[in-house]
Amino acid sequence: MNPEPFVDDIESYAQDIVDTVREPLLMLDTNLRVQSANRAFYETFQVSPAETENQLIYQLGNGQWDIPGLKTLLEEIIPTSSVFNDFELEHSFPIIGRRVMLLNGRKLRAGSHSAIIVLAMEDVTERRRSEADLRAIETYAQDIVDTVREPLLILDTTLRVQSGNRAFYQTFKVSPSETENHLIYELGNGQWDIPALRTLLEDIVPTSSVFNDFELVHDFPELGRRVMLLNARKLQAGHHGELVVLAMEDVTERRRAEEEVAKAKEASEIANKTKSLFLANMSHELRTPLNAIVGYSEMLQEEAAEQNLDSFTDDLRKITMSGKHLLALINDILDLSKIEAGKMELFLENFELDTLIEDVATTIQPLVEKNSNSLHIELAPDLGRMRADQVKVRQALFNLLSNAAKFTHEGSVVLTGARERMDGSDWVVFRVADTGIGLSADKIVRLFQDFTQADASTTRKFGGTGLGLALTRRFCQMMGGDVTVRSTPGKGSTFTIKLPAIVTDSAKSEFVNPVVSDSNDVVVANDRSTDPPTLPGTCVLVIDDDSAQRDLMRRFLSKEGFTVRSASSGAEGLRLARVLLPIAITLDVMMPEMDGWAVLDALKSDPVLCDIPVIMLTMVDDSGRGFTLGAADYVTKPVNRRRMTRILKRYSCANPPCPILVVDDDSATRASMRRMLEKSGCRVTEAENGEMALKSMEQERPSLIFLDLVMPMMDGFTFADRARLHPEWRSVPIVVVTAHDLTGDERRRLNGCVESILHTSGCSRDELLHQVRDALDNYSIPHEATAPHEATA
Amino acid sequence: MSRILLVEDNEMNRDMLSRRLMREGYEVIIAVDGQQGMSMAQSEAPDLILMDMSLPVIDGWEVTRFLKAADATKEIPVIALTAHAMSTDRDKAMEAGCDDYDTKPIEFSRLLEKMEALLGTSGERASAGGKTS
Repeated sequence: MNPEPFVDDIESYAQDIVDTVREPLLMLDTNLRVQSANRAFYETFQVSPAETENQLIYQLGNGQWDIPGLKTLLEEIIPTSSVFNDFELEHSFPIIGRRVMLLNGRKLRAGSHSAIIVLAMEDVTERRRSEADLRAIETYAQDIVDTVREPLLILDTTLRVQSGNRAFYQTFKVSPSETENHLIYELGNGQWDIPALRTLLEDIVPTSSVFNDFELVHDFPELGRRVMLLNARKLQAGHHGELVVLAMEDVTERRRAEEEVAKAKEASEIANKTKSLFLANMSHELRTPLNAIVGYSEMLQEEAAEQNLDSFTDDLRKITMSGKHLLALINDILDLSKIEAGKMELFLENFELDTLIEDVATTIQPLVEKNSNSLHIELAPDLGRMRADQVKVRQALFNLLSNAAKFTHEGSVVLTGARERMDGSDWVVFRVADTGIGLSADKIVRLFQDFTQADASTTRKFGGTGLGLALTRRFCQMMGGDVTVRSTPGKGSTFTIKLPAIVTDSAKSEFVNPVVSDSNDVVVANDRSTDPPTLPGTCVLVIDDDSAQRDLMRRFLSKEGFTVRSASSGAEGLRLARVLLPIAITLDVMMPEMDGWAVLDALKSDPVLCDIPVIMLTMVDDSGRGFTLGAADYVTKPVNRRRMTRILKRYSCANPPCPILVVDDDSATRASMRRMLEKSGCRVTEAENGEMALKSMEQERPSLIFLDLVMPMMDGFTFADRARLHPEWRSVPIVVVTAHDLTGDERRRLNGCVESILHTSGCSRDELLHQVRDALDNYSIPHEATAPHEATA
Repeated sequence: MSRILLVEDNEMNRDMLSRRLMREGYEVIIAVDGQQGMSMAQSEAPDLILMDMSLPVIDGWEVTRFLKAADATKEIPVIALTAHAMSTDRDKAMEAGCDDYDTKPIEFSRLLEKMEALLGTSGERASAGGKTS
């Protein structure tokens, strides 16, 4: 047996292994000359065996391996030890660029061969780079966390603090060392041991990965009483496991400011009410003695005339006139305060324009003659009738004419009346032109403002309160029109009143400031294109006592393409509903005096109004939380048979017998409803509270629900709320059954339910608005399913 | 000669109106609150009632509702007199059953026209209104 081939076999076997290794390997002799290399080496460093073998390692590839670190390693470490591990070397190789190599060396003695050094080179460039990237990302994340001005705590799932950010340490005046690795409740001598926080972290966090805006009020020993808004996210953080990020926003100041705003608002509302009341009382107090002055002087005038005491009549007439003038001024002030309080109303009637103008002309004639002026009246032959508030039209004309007479001497005053067609509707246009002193542009701008005359000297010279034009303008605007003026100083003024020939009660336009067109020719105009007339089929009536909510709803619904009219009280709402016949009504539940339930009862008892869809809602102004009662319709107990039939026609399914669910805690009511419904061919299921109703709905989805609101266990509000959350039940119409003539106790219970909904599951302002829109969408779409049903009935 | 019941709590208003009405030839009887007005309307059988609405004891709206509900008094015309000039005041008065409405301060000639229209006696004043005293 020849041992040599066997050795060769082993050598080639070893070479095979060496070549298979994917790490570059170099075999050196003790003089550091390359004995051999593996394939991976040649490939990695892009060199050939010929230029490698028997070369000193430092000379390889034109000296590219002449690296100080390597020299130290090979010449100082290898001679003294037979092994070295993970020597990291960073070097720019001419061919392959900058690399980070991890070197491992072994000194081996292989049989008869002299000792060789095996040098394994692992290229860790990529690994080092991603490690560096990762570190950068961590630093970056930490920087972000530290930059956030809100205090943040990172907790592990055992509620131990992993870290806090700078804001946390600063706000709570604690150091990282007394914070990290502590249980959150132990922080700052237990000042974080807050029951509400415990509930949050121990009950809510384990079951959900997010919670938002949890408000916490707590007396912190160091900081005092604070209101904190807590937000948390649970996140998976690699080898850190699951972490909870807790963000704490200090909203103490914000809440305080909100409270102050609310208080200021309340104070100003009280002040405003006090002012209105004062004006009302005052004007009454002033009017009573004036009535006596006017009345008695008139009476004495009559007596003096009878007894031929002519020397007295003239003086008595002056007393009467002055008294009447003073009375008129007081009435103006009262009118203006009424307009401001939104309490001025229109009394619409049809009247002949000729008669009205003749009447006004007769009244104004003495005043015109006083300054030696002449009055000319030019009326279009087709003037005819108009529908408006006659008293206000008369007053507006009288004010313009008396101004013209007052500011003109030995000139003329011309009153013209005509009909004009604009924007597809009929308008009545009055013009009062005079040849008087006229007005400059800056005076015109102030002209229609309350209590402002053209200037102070005018007041001295001509008298008056300066209220006439302001009132005229407000009256015109209330009737959906406006008054404009053109004037040239020294030559005269022309005032123009434009009013719709048929004024509707809802035509009030917004106050718009005068527009100055050029220096002496000024037009005061109200751009009515922004205030579209009420189109049939788009008008929604908003009944809410809170002006901010009315405004919010008005803006939102206008954007959605509805024409919006609003009422600030239940009584006004009912009146407007009768005039406007809106397509839907949004109704605030919580209103003083006549609350939403009373209005609802009145609406549903009125045969004309009972079919108008009502959306009951309420919102708490300062928190922005609100709720809508998701009902399709309302009926009052005891249920009227005719109304029930109409509701069934509108909402029940197309193929009877329709399954109908009656939810009421009173068994007698349930029984009577069942009888009525079964007579109409429906199949009735009963439930005595919300909880049982929900259970019953799981068995069978009804096509219609009749729902009582006040019930034990689960009330109707909560039930409606839950049903709305369920995707399959959301479309089931709910008809709320309320008591007719609610007692005080019932009303308190209803409103108590609303308040508890507001506190527990009330929705945000945006959600509320969307619910309103969804409800309106449902109403404005014709009920296709019931249309054929109705036709056959 | 028509008999007018004037229900008015304000003394000067009562004095003025009653004197002017008497000078026009009417017989005027007076009540100073709603309660008295109600009983005088029943006992004195007036031809027309001038009713202030804001009255003590029982207000004018309630008195009118009562009178218009009773067979004995429902035919007596009632003119409401109020200090307010709002359309709701007018509506409120009409709802209570008043036949007409006027605002204070009283425009005497206008009130006379309304009274005559309800009494159907435009000629009466001319004949009875002569200087009798």
